[in-house]
Amino acid sequence: MTEPFASDVAPVEIDEPTIDTTSLVDRPWIVLVWNDPINLMSYVTYVLQKVFGYSHEKAESMMLDVHEKGRAVVSSGSKEKAELDVFRLHEHGLWATMQQD
Amino acid sequence: MAFGFKRPIQRKGPDRFIINLRGDLRDVIAAVCDDLLAALDDEDATHHDPMLRRVFPVAHVSDEAVNDAYRDLVHSDLLRTRREALERVSATAQDSELDRATLETWMIGLNTVRLVLGTRLDVSEDGSPQLEPDDPELPAWALYEFLGALVGMVVDALARTS
Repeated sequence: MTEPFASDVAPVEIDEPTIDTTSLVDRPWIVLVWNDPINLMSYVTYVLQKVFGYSHEKAESMMLDVHEKGRAVVSSGSKEKAELDVFRLHEHGLWATMQQD
Repeated sequence: MAFGFKRPIQRKGPDRFIINLRGDLRDVIAAVCDDLLAALDDEDATHHDPMLRRVFPVAHVSDEAVNDAYRDLVHSDLLRTRREALERVSATAQDSELDRATLETWMIGLNTVRLVLGTRLDVSEDGSPQLEPDDPELPAWALYEFLGALVGMVVDALARTS
């Protein structure tokens, strides 16, 4: 897998027996980083430390998840926070997307 | 003959890094940044050129409304910060010493160039292909490998705490 396009991505299973508008609005957004064949592993770890203030251990474990599982959740929160996080990751050249959890 | 190998990027303190690179390599660094800056002059290309899609990515895998809103919100900022980073790397390519902020800008700027070059070369997880010496893509692959080594050394120097 090189690109997180819809056709390559298994749908995320969301377990929600009932949908009401309140929970739709309140559900947090998550930010995902996707595996790509170009960025160096040490680079991804350093960027996660710098952007989010994560420890080296936490950032490295997230990077390994990205590398081995194809993607990892790196942050979550409001839509505005997710947009800002995605922007900062894009500034650093990481392949990041956001979606409502 | 002495093989006095010096670490190319040497940490001298929390905010001081010595750059031991030959002049011709410094010229390559400035030239690749200037080349990408020239490509970014074409604003339309930053939206549509497939070679640049990796440095101006979408924010959602499928929701076009989210992507349109995100593009409206950040595209001009993303373009501006990319340009500023590349200009700064080009302007400091000959410097023998950099502070941390400038070295982080080198990391981001050189990685941006590498992303565009890697997209052009259609890099996969398999790494570099075995090329014949006369393959026309050989110089581009050599440049890609050089930038990878350089970004790796910059990250190592920045991540080192002592």
